Amino acid sequence: MLNAHPTGELTEPNASQRFEPRDRESFFAAQTRNRRATWRISVLCVLAATLMGIPLALIITPLLYGVALIIADAVNLFSPLPPEFWRQASEVPHFGRVAFDWLLQQKAADPQALAIGAAVMLLPGILFSLALWAAVNLIFRRSGTGGAVLALRAREPSPSELKELQLVDVVQEMAIAAGLPAPQVMLIDASGANAGIIGASPEDARLIVSRRLIEDLSRDELEGAVAHLIGSIGNGDLHISMRITAVFEACGLLVAVMNAPFGPQSRRILWQIVRYSLIRREGDPQEAALVADLLTRSAGLEVDDIDRFFDATGKKSRLRSIRNFIFFPIFFTNTAVKLLLWFFSWAVLGPLMGLLWHTRQYLADASAVQLTRDPDGLARALQKLNEEPGEIPGGNWASHLFLVRPRPSGSTFAANTQQRQMLAQAWAASATAASASMPGASSNFAAISRQLPELMRAAVAGDERAAARLRSLYQSVSAADPEFAAQFPNPDDLIAARKGDFEAISRLRAARPNPVALGQAGMQKDHTPSSPEAPSLVAFHASLKRRLKRLALLGAHIDPVARDRKAGIVILVFSLLLGPFALLAILLFLLLIAVMTLASLTFVVIWLAVIHKLFALAGSPSA
Amino acid sequence: MLISPVIIGIIVAALVLLWLIAVFNGLVALRNRVQNAWAQIDVQLKRRHDLIPNLVETVRGYMQHERSVFDAVTEARAQAIVAGSNIPVRTAAESALSGALGKLFAVAENYPQLLAVENFQILQEELTSTENRIAYARQCYNDEVMKYNTTQSTFPRNLFATLLGFSPASMFAGMDADRAEVQVRL
Repeated sequence: MLNAHPTGELTEPNASQRFEPRDRESFFAAQTRNRRATWRISVLCVLAATLMGIPLALIITPLLYGVALIIADAVNLFSPLPPEFWRQASEVPHFGRVAFDWLLQQKAADPQALAIGAAVMLLPGILFSLALWAAVNLIFRRSGTGGAVLALRAREPSPSELKELQLVDVVQEMAIAAGLPAPQVMLIDASGANAGIIGASPEDARLIVSRRLIEDLSRDELEGAVAHLIGSIGNGDLHISMRITAVFEACGLLVAVMNAPFGPQSRRILWQIVRYSLIRREGDPQEAALVADLLTRSAGLEVDDIDRFFDATGKKSRLRSIRNFIFFPIFFTNTAVKLLLWFFSWAVLGPLMGLLWHTRQYLADASAVQLTRDPDGLARALQKLNEEPGEIPGGNWASHLFLVRPRPSGSTFAANTQQRQMLAQAWAASATAASASMPGASSNFAAISRQLPELMRAAVAGDERAAARLRSLYQSVSAADPEFAAQFPNPDDLIAARKGDFEAISRLRAARPNPVALGQAGMQKDHTPSSPEAPSLVAFHASLKRRLKRLALLGAHIDPVARDRKAGIVILVFSLLLGPFALLAILLFLLLIAVMTLASLTFVVIWLAVIHKLFALAGSPSA
Repeated sequence: MLISPVIIGIIVAALVLLWLIAVFNGLVALRNRVQNAWAQIDVQLKRRHDLIPNLVETVRGYMQHERSVFDAVTEARAQAIVAGSNIPVRTAAESALSGALGKLFAVAENYPQLLAVENFQILQEELTSTENRIAYARQCYNDEVMKYNTTQSTFPRNLFATLLGFSPASMFAGMDADRAEVQVRL
């Protein structure tokens, strides 16, 4: 703080803040700092995964033993196994009991027996989960994400169009600056402005850019945005992202394993995973399709075979209820696993991975500054892109790989820049034409797209002024651009439909062609948001404010965002008030998980004992 | 059980050897990156040379009266190609080429019909991009050289770097012609 203005500081705090020399940081220093932060958080992530692994292993291990026992029993039926084997096998539950007694009843135990007990109870489950994760990782790495990119309906940029040529050139420039091979550029004609990288490795990387982005950004902003993405590729974020995704996919697959005996869908996915991870074939389209399926639809987590299995609403026969009774324990196991996975991915592992991803984003921002030497370009690009929801239809699974968080747009209509301006003008004009009590003249497209549905609702509910305003808006829009106006319902029809005019209703139905908006809405429904960030407390995207602050440290000339003290205090008070309750809820939840786990364990043990006995009965006459 | 000093010595020696191998491989990777970055500058300069005949061909019809402008461009290009790997001459020629191209685009502003031709716009974009690429390739080269030199000269690698046969690379110092104009008095 060398030249802080003493007078300016008193009279105009904002102005002094603006010209105050900041403690600048070089981009190399920023990169080193963020790399270290990534390491620290990844250690925490591993710890959290271990923490989650313990109860998970407790649930899964008995099932694995159960499968082994059933197989051994079946083999025993045909060719009796040596008694040595059975003696060894009976040791297993003994060691498990030692560990449990120590844990629950504080019974003193021999440390060696305790260690063996813990290993016996945990190791098979842990190894199984790790194997699943490794298999998913392997498949992702080998077959790349080309199949999943198809779901985005991306196209190659055309070299004869200036803007698209410019994009390709900027990508080449940035790749040269980073000393990397240039990634393939794909364009999507989505209504949101956003860009991201998709791929399993730097060689497989594709740069996905929406057409709106190259229209909205100037060349230096585009350079900043592309430099962020290329820097991200150079920093190895794709590998990290794939590992994170593989963790969530493996969790989903664990549920699929539970369901495997009950449903063909789970069996099919598991069989494919096993097959593709063991058999090595280059460029297998089926494998690519599987990866695409895993990524875009989150195959594992969606499976609900088990619910269908127990769902006896259709047929009610005695056989069915007996079957349900026999398999009842698996229901506990399933619920315990699901609760556990949900809780940990929402409150522990997910947030940690989100924080990890923040450090990668700051790192990529610093890399972008290294490549362009122009922090302002990226800062302005981020500001512009954050103003609107940069939705990428079909890209939910990769949303963390995009420059800014793709928020689902509240608007149901697509508009280009000119149409936006025209709509904003019409909106302002209609506000003055109606009364002053209406929401004011806002030139912000996002605000309009939020307020427009409200206005429609008010008009339909019978608000005369709202109806008048809607009519004037509709008239001015359809006068300027009839094609664009076709995306909106005719206000007269809306009001008539409310009164029960069937003709108006059918007209409204026919006049909703808008394939873009409808298509997007449809996509969202059948593609459940399966990105790793979906079930997490902390978003995977760092907040704009923090990113801009860091860019300002790197030399960007942006107005520091004024800190909202009031909101901070309100949040503090709320968190102090609600904190204890939240803590209590978390504790209760953990207790619930523990009870479920124990119940599952007990039921499975009883179930196995019964099965073992049955086998013994079946075996004894022949022996 | 006692571990004899011999075994400890062997373990330490093995660790040092492993570390040396890691240092050597790391430095080789960095050196390759430096060489690759250097080659990239050449690739981009070549790309600019290849674009120029096309540009002159497009412009010729519209700018009959500005012969001297695009003659300067062609001549500078020819000189740069002749200079080949003679670095000081080449640098001067490339710098002259940059200047001539800048002049050509500045003069082209006076010919609205030319600016409207789509082919010209695309060529202009290509050449702008190539200029950028050359600049970024140089920047990348300097970044890589910095990384390479820092890695070599920090302790304790500096004790072994020369032994392993590595020497610091020199940075790209910028255009001599450009630098002559700037005189800083201290």
